[in-house]
Amino acid sequence: MKRILLACSAGMSTSLLVTKMEQHVASINEDAKIWAVGQDQARKEMANADVVLIGPQMSFLKGDLQKEANKYGIKVDVIDMMAYGLADGKKAYEQAVKLMGE
Amino acid sequence: MENIDLDTLTAEQINFMLILHSGNARSKIIQALREYREGNVEESDNLLIQAEEDLKASHEIHFKMIQKEASGERVEFALLLMHAEDHLMSTLTMKELVRELLDIFKQKNL
Repeated sequence: MKRILLACSAGMSTSLLVTKMEQHVASINEDAKIWAVGQDQARKEMANADVVLIGPQMSFLKGDLQKEANKYGIKVDVIDMMAYGLADGKKAYEQAVKLMGE
Repeated sequence: MENIDLDTLTAEQINFMLILHSGNARSKIIQALREYREGNVEESDNLLIQAEEDLKASHEIHFKMIQKEASGERVEFALLLMHAEDHLMSTLTMKELVRELLDIFKQKNL
C-alpha cells in the first residue's frame, strides 16, 4: 500500500487535499494511506511514509526535509501549483505516485 | 496559472488559490532572508520582489471577493476561507517586517 504524507504549515489545507486524493484513489480502485500533518510533525511522521508532499507555504523547507527524508530513502517535493491551487486530488496523487517511482 | 478565470472556480478552489499565492510568497520571503545571510543581496532583493508579486495575486483575488460581497452577492463563508485570509494577512505582515529588517541590515552593513 502506498503511504503518502502531506504537510503544510497547519495541516489544514492539505487535509482537504487528502480527502480529494482519497476520493480519487477509491474511484480507481487503488489502496493508499494518505494523511496530512502540520510542518512541525512532518519530520517525525515521514518515518511512516513512502513519499512526502509539502504545501507551497513551506517550500523553503524542502531542502531541510529532504535531508531528513534521505534517512528513509524517500522523496520530498512541493505539491504541483496547479494541483494545489485547484485542490485537484487526482493530479496530486499522480505526482506522489510518480515521485515514488523515481 | 495567471490565466485562470476565477468565475470558473468553486469557492473552495478560490480559497486554495489564496493560500497558494500567499504560500509561495511566504516561502520566498524566508528564502530572501536566507540569501541575504549568505551574502547574496541581489538574489535576496529579487525574491522579495517576487514575493510581492505573489502577494499581489493573492490580494487581487481577495479584493474581488470583497467587491462581490459589497455588490450584494453572497460569498460563501467557510473555515477554509478564514484560514486563507489568515495566510494572506500573516504573510503581508511578514513581508513588511522582512523588508524593514533587510533595510536595517543594509544600512548597518550587516
